[in-house]
Amino acid sequence: MEGPLILKLLRSPRPHARILSINTERAMKNDGVEAIFTAKDIPGRNLIGLITKDQPLLAHDKVRFVGEPVALVAARDEESAIRGVEEVEVVYEDLPAIFTPDEALDPGAVPIHEKGNLLHRRVVVKGDVEDALSRAHLVVERTYSTPFLEHACLEPDAGWGYVDKDGTLVIVASTQNPHYDQREVAELLGVEKERVRVIQAATGGGFGSKLDLTVQGFIGLALYHLRRPVKLTLSREEVFLATPKRHAMKIWMRTAARRDGRLLALEAKIICDTGAYSSYGVAVATRAAVHATGPYEIENVRVESLAVYTNNPIAGAMRGFGVPQVAFAHESQMDILAEGLGIDPLEIRRINAMRPESVTATGQVLGESVGLLEALDAVEPHYREAMEEWKKGPRRPYTARGVGLGAMWYGIGNTGVRNPSTVKVQLDERGRVVLYIGAADMGQGSTTVLVQMASETLGISPEEMEVVIADTGLTPDAGASSASRQTYISGNALVRACRKLSETLLEEASRLTGLPRGELVLRGGNVVSKEKPERLVSLAELAALAKERGVSLEFEGHFDPETTPLDPSTGQGIPYATYSFACQMAQVEVDLLTGQVEVRRIVAAHDVGKAINPKGVVGQIRGGVAMGVGFALMEEFLPGSTRSFKDYHIPTAADMPEVIPIIVESSEPTGPFGAKGVGEPALIPTAPAILNAIADALGERIYALPATLERVCEASIRAGWPKMGKGGGPR
Amino acid sequence: MVKGYSRPRSLDEALEMLARLTPRALPIAGGTDLLVDLREGRLGECHLVDISRLEELKVLEKRSGKIRVGAGLTFSEVERSGLLRECAPVLVKASSQVGSLQIRNVGTIGGNVAHCSPAADTIPALLVHRAKVVLRSSNGSREVALEALLGGPYKALLAPGELITEFVLEDASHMWGEFSKIGRRRELAIARLSLAALARKEDGRIGELYLALGAGTPVPRRMESAERALLGKRPQEGDLWEAGWLMAQEMVSVSGPRPSTHYKEKAACGLLVRTLLPLLEDGS
Amino acid sequence: MNPEEKIRISFRLNGREVEAHVLPGETALHLLRERLGLRGVKEGCGIGECGACTIVVDKKAVNSCLMLAAQLHGCEVLTVEGLESPVGLHPLQEAFLEHDAIQCGYCTPGMLLSAYALIVSRGVPTREEIVRALAGNLCRCTGYHQIVDAVQDAARRMAGKEEGRW
Repeated sequence: MEGPLILKLLRSPRPHARILSINTERAMKNDGVEAIFTAKDIPGRNLIGLITKDQPLLAHDKVRFVGEPVALVAARDEESAIRGVEEVEVVYEDLPAIFTPDEALDPGAVPIHEKGNLLHRRVVVKGDVEDALSRAHLVVERTYSTPFLEHACLEPDAGWGYVDKDGTLVIVASTQNPHYDQREVAELLGVEKERVRVIQAATGGGFGSKLDLTVQGFIGLALYHLRRPVKLTLSREEVFLATPKRHAMKIWMRTAARRDGRLLALEAKIICDTGAYSSYGVAVATRAAVHATGPYEIENVRVESLAVYTNNPIAGAMRGFGVPQVAFAHESQMDILAEGLGIDPLEIRRINAMRPESVTATGQVLGESVGLLEALDAVEPHYREAMEEWKKGPRRPYTARGVGLGAMWYGIGNTGVRNPSTVKVQLDERGRVVLYIGAADMGQGSTTVLVQMASETLGISPEEMEVVIADTGLTPDAGASSASRQTYISGNALVRACRKLSETLLEEASRLTGLPRGELVLRGGNVVSKEKPERLVSLAELAALAKERGVSLEFEGHFDPETTPLDPSTGQGIPYATYSFACQMAQVEVDLLTGQVEVRRIVAAHDVGKAINPKGVVGQIRGGVAMGVGFALMEEFLPGSTRSFKDYHIPTAADMPEVIPIIVESSEPTGPFGAKGVGEPALIPTAPAILNAIADALGERIYALPATLERVCEASIRAGWPKMGKGGGPR
Repeated sequence: MVKGYSRPRSLDEALEMLARLTPRALPIAGGTDLLVDLREGRLGECHLVDISRLEELKVLEKRSGKIRVGAGLTFSEVERSGLLRECAPVLVKASSQVGSLQIRNVGTIGGNVAHCSPAADTIPALLVHRAKVVLRSSNGSREVALEALLGGPYKALLAPGELITEFVLEDASHMWGEFSKIGRRRELAIARLSLAALARKEDGRIGELYLALGAGTPVPRRMESAERALLGKRPQEGDLWEAGWLMAQEMVSVSGPRPSTHYKEKAACGLLVRTLLPLLEDGS
Repeated sequence: MNPEEKIRISFRLNGREVEAHVLPGETALHLLRERLGLRGVKEGCGIGECGACTIVVDKKAVNSCLMLAAQLHGCEVLTVEGLESPVGLHPLQEAFLEHDAIQCGYCTPGMLLSAYALIVSRGVPTREEIVRALAGNLCRCTGYHQIVDAVQDAARRMAGKEEGRW
């Protein structure tokens, strides 16, 4: 049997240009080339986007970034596909290209999109900032910058597809949100949703990079026209070139405090380079604005956050969605304030820390699950020991030691919008419990956690259950695996579904046995009496009975967090139903001669509400810290020059500090078993803590990430350590 | 585009193939640089001649006071060699810091030198060991100082059909040696700067000193102004600083001012101080 | 494809003799994964910078993306598919499961093989030796700690036992 056709993309070499013509004649003459598709071959709507639909699947009139897909080649083998791509002739007419948000916002700038270069403006305003500034004892104003970042999942994007015997276009792809994929592909092709089926393939990491359509649209298009199996895998170079990045940001922040350390006001202007298309730009800019205060209660707030189009690569979702960037800013501000006021850095955080019933910048009154103080308390003994003992300990000559803190908060779920999940549970005719979970697991462990919750609710061991995962043909829509939302949202939905099942089963068992419903519980696959825990009736028997009566034991549970949209002019509202909190501490040793930084230890205390799977939580914390080390010290995606893993460094095993993970459980009443989320929080405090530690070591601060050799060397020289040059030496 | 592949059974056969085979015949040993070139389209049409298993390229012996090191030895083989640990410690240290273990298991020092990257790790080490390079072709053989082979970035001056077969090093037994590398992370990192140092002290004075800087100039080179500043001295910390600054200035005068100069001149100075601290009188 | 342009090689793969005809420029990765169906060998980057393609050749961990298929001739090659035996999972695989050393799983085959090669040559390595040996295997999910724990644990279990295939 023939193998699948190989798909390859022709991508624009120009950052901003009109397409004058596309000629596929020569390319089609290649023996192995089966077909070549361009925008005109898209039967439905050639416009995609997770929030704002501004991106064509295949460019039609112009291209807006280097790497933008222009044509799709389907060929018998790899070599023919490559030749086909090389021989498509496209004539471009260059337009002025814009590579910084400042340029893009200039009134005279060429519009990248018809409606202009400002994608979104989010404002959060509360209280009276001017008045607060006038009352302040200390006002700190700085500008921070963070670069584009690459997710660097170990698995490059990939997928394949085939047409089912009933004509359904089946797409099997690495993805974080199969149901979105299904909807989007159906619209692209102008067919009903049910004609497209998306099955999540084993996904080698996501971190936000597999939320946008990656390969799915192209596979769908090829299937639609060719009706035979096709396959598309991106090379690592293509992933670097053309898949979404973390937003580069410039953050100006002005924080005002009283003499006793209490924060009075926060003003911030955040400029997010969202690249050529919107992707998650609206959500990132909004989240950054909403989280800009940090996990601190501040009465007077004025934040403006802009998502700006440029001809850089698309910036979209990446673990943290804008919060890692602003956390670097607000945590640096806290340390600068602490120093200026002569207050201990941990104390100043404690003084201002959010607590139950604190009011946020968007006017939300927090519930009871606010574990920040507990996280600070958990870190404190390590912090004191590091400051008092470790910092003064023996070390190599010409090195300086520093200790730094980073605190964070993170809203669980999508910001101020509906983002529900539906989960289905079934007791099938064999008496087996089958869970239908639409949530994509890309290694973060959502499946494990949800199975555990089902196990707890139904009194059955995980081994006895079956799971069907992330298949639009079989599982209801659980929403995307993003925003650290699956434990909380799909967990609630699953528990609801399981409770409906257990209630039904217990009612039926009560009817059968004559015992009061209240006396009965599910345990070990049976209904038993609380008084005398002997098996009364098994689930298998109940299933058989139901079958006899023609009753289906299939239940759906649904959950949507209670949020309200943010007011467009003030940003007031309830963006999330719950928040996770954390504090991390970093111990670093800085080589004053070379600029190298060694992170010796990270203590990470995370309030997750309830750790359904503690090992899993620890795994997320360790992985998040690793990403944070990269963000702090070595990761930087430079459009046009970062091409591969030779240029882009993520931490290896040898770069990892000792990590001490601490789980804090401040139970969330609206969460399943009290749980919230941890996937993104794990990463957020790390870089801030490391940069604060570097500042502590050197006495000079770095305001741009990453803290490269050059930046650290520069900062250490500014601090006067050591004096380089003729007559140089220790200070 | 690779048009052909051959595996000669002897060095003579390899040299004959390299001379004869068209299109362009290229030797492949570990392949860790070549296959990246292949993937990135830099190879053009070529015929690969696999020299990775030629025993003649794996010589490893001490003879008449010199150390013969086969060009076909992998970084891992160099790292594990008891002879080289004793007689060529800087080469061992440099080899142990190349790439990752997977790369070290197949990459060769001959390949590292022939690729001639400005940041090649083994070149500064070979320079302080005053390595001579033995090259052979089907026409004959020649021996040159390593410096003479380093034509420029990625330009080793090998004649067509010529192979590096071995390096001949001065015996460094009883000498102190070190190789320090600044990278953007601890492992699997290209050198931002590297320094190879080999020294011998007599009565507390520096009797011999060889320093070679990598990734600071178009090709790695001996830094003689710094060497001269320290020779014969009972070094104090201030002497190291002075030598470091001389080395940095020599680096800048050779490479010309570049965007990286601002960092590299300070880091080069610092790297020398860091590396040579163990040589101080008080043992630092 | 002109058959004369292909090179005939034979080698031992996961304990069995194998013959293949390979193109001169074909990588070992391509042969093993695309033509011999060993999906455990993965192309994470294709340039030897991530280790996802790691295989064991003559007891040494190597990047199969940087090796020509032709260079496998006469060698003893192990991929992750060769770790499992009729008896069950390899101690390394068991240890990875027990220590929660797997999240997305993409780096795992490469990690297992680098660890295997290390243990075969070093016996019971120190934590530092494990870290150095695995530095060429990138992981974006786990932070590495649990992987190192698993390797250390597996090494102790394997110590003193018969080498089996090797």
